[in-house]
Amino acid sequence: MSATSIQAPPPKGFFTRLRESLFSTPVDCVVTLLCAIFFATIIYKIVDWAFLSSIWTAEDEPLCRDASGACWSVIDARHRIIFFGLFPFEEHWRSTLACIVMIATIVLSCVPWFWSAIKLSALWVLGFGVFYILMHGGVFGLSVITPERWGGLALTIFIFAAVSIFGMPLSILLALGRRSELPVIAKLFGLFIDFFRSLPLLTILFTAAIITPFILPGWLQGDKLYRVIAGFAIFFACYQAENIRAGLQAIPSGQDEAGLTLGLNYWQRITRIQLPQAFRNSLPAIVNQFVITFKETSIVTIVGFFEILASGAAAYGTGKWTVHYIEVYVFIGVIYFLFVFSLSRYGAYLEKKLRVGHG
Amino acid sequence: MIRNSIRLIPTALTSCLLGLSFASTAAFAGNGDTLKAVQDRGSLLCSGHNGSFPPFVQVTDDNKWSGYDIDYCRAMAVAIFGTDEKLKVVPISWAQRFPSLQSGDVDIIIKATGWTMGRDTELGIQFSRPYFVGATQIMMPKELGSTAAETLEGGSLCANAGTSTERLAANFFKSAGIEIEMITFEKSEETREAYFAGRCDSLVGWGPNLAVTRQSAENPDDHVMMDTALALEPESAAMRQGDDNWVDIANWMFAATWIAEANGITSANVDEMKANPADSTVEKLLGVSPGIGERLGLSDDWAYNVIKQVGNSAEIFDRNIGDGSVYKLERGLNALWSDGGVIVPMILD
Repeated sequence: MSATSIQAPPPKGFFTRLRESLFSTPVDCVVTLLCAIFFATIIYKIVDWAFLSSIWTAEDEPLCRDASGACWSVIDARHRIIFFGLFPFEEHWRSTLACIVMIATIVLSCVPWFWSAIKLSALWVLGFGVFYILMHGGVFGLSVITPERWGGLALTIFIFAAVSIFGMPLSILLALGRRSELPVIAKLFGLFIDFFRSLPLLTILFTAAIITPFILPGWLQGDKLYRVIAGFAIFFACYQAENIRAGLQAIPSGQDEAGLTLGLNYWQRITRIQLPQAFRNSLPAIVNQFVITFKETSIVTIVGFFEILASGAAAYGTGKWTVHYIEVYVFIGVIYFLFVFSLSRYGAYLEKKLRVGHG
Repeated sequence: MIRNSIRLIPTALTSCLLGLSFASTAAFAGNGDTLKAVQDRGSLLCSGHNGSFPPFVQVTDDNKWSGYDIDYCRAMAVAIFGTDEKLKVVPISWAQRFPSLQSGDVDIIIKATGWTMGRDTELGIQFSRPYFVGATQIMMPKELGSTAAETLEGGSLCANAGTSTERLAANFFKSAGIEIEMITFEKSEETREAYFAGRCDSLVGWGPNLAVTRQSAENPDDHVMMDTALALEPESAAMRQGDDNWVDIANWMFAATWIAEANGITSANVDEMKANPADSTVEKLLGVSPGIGERLGLSDDWAYNVIKQVGNSAEIFDRNIGDGSVYKLERGLNALWSDGGVIVPMILD
């Protein structure tokens, strides 16, 4: 009687696996080849349109009519409108610098070293202050540029950053309020959250931009931009609060009770035990909400803001450029992609770092 | 074309705000001296667009507003302040126009806004006299040899499906007894492509839109407009109800550019004209003899400033829509009555 030993098959090489899964039978071969040709053609068409047969500079615009590829001349000639909207031409360096400062602030606040309440608030007050001074002016000899002339990528980034920075603390407050042990508080917060979640964002923005001036006294109205940001931030906070609450709900009650036995007070238990775990639990959902918010900033165009999509429309909406809207939208799509993709990659990095999904 | 479909969106929103509009009309009418509010604020808030609506509202390469409507916004600011640097153009969407006016976001809407009875009576809005007539027109290749409607007998027409232009065109040719085949498309881009590809002999649309389409053609000169307009929409400036002086200012601002054109006054020769006025009308218009300013609460040289800095109606049209622009739309009905148009300047006494 011979003992049969079960051996794991030797690991297969890349080509072996490729042959087995794609070319094992004649039918497989044909299907594989057809698919390969199909995708190669599509990719070639895109590359050809975007790079090989395209026209690049504004001066070459007359060649666009006969070119089969993209006419990037429109971007060359009008990119300043896409980036800066109606910001005065001579002051574009201010808008550029403000954008860089804001992006740097966002990137820095993603670095774990900054993750304490004091450091984060200091960073954001500084970043926001510098951004505002650069954009608005009025001090240090900078000319005043009022918000109705802000626009383009700079405005999109500003709205996103402002909504995040005011919405995030508010969302924590709302989540905690909804889980309060006092039934009145819990009900009130619940009602608030559900009320705003059941309204479309567009309605909230329209109300903030246009209806509030009828209701609020003059001194409380502020600029339209800030009213819209406030409305957007509340909307964001209500959704984010539910994400955070889901994270809080997932923590076994024993942990909080253990904290109580150790004599920790409410805020200690919240900040040391509950919130860190809640964030870790609901990180994918939280990052998702940021991604959605970045993309939803384009809705402010309906209440008359010159964010990047409206700027894009203005960029192609004149004279000879009117036919080149596809190039402008592709360009804006790439900008959106860069931001949103980095956001989601950062989310993935965080998940790894915090070992989300590993108990 | 595009415009018609965009315009459907705001109807619902505007009606929702109707109640509020009424409530606020009263409030604004109470303290309603818009001119004083504008002067105290030190700036005029005029309508722009959230994007671009050539040739009325668009953005230049160096990030400045330009266009036919923007020029009239400038004229309004010049009339009040003597300079267009006090003009603040507020970007607003079509949907947002009337609510924005009511909430005080803008002082005046000069943005290709048609004068309709519904808007006039139900939205708490008062219109100026029309400063532009938007004609629904038909564009056809020059090689057909004539711009008369009969040229299209037995031919075909490209139109956007389900739009009012499609109905207008169908009715027009039916009543004219001209046999024509309608080819309709869902998207305006498709309609445009089909016309340029030669799938139909003509293209129907709103005149200024057609002009924008035409300049994107390989050879814009190959296309001409049919000499009959199918329909006209009077475009007026919209203001809050209950401030008569403000409406007067808008009306006379437009009139000043027309009277200047009728009397041959341009931005180039206005100084010369002021020094040697030809008649009493010119004297009054340019503030040589007093009256034009005081009666509106402005300075006597406001019309002079408008003509000097913005130009007369011919210059404004030419620069933005006509031969001085890339769109090269014929002035047609937008000319003064003496040149065959429908624009009639009021009498300056």
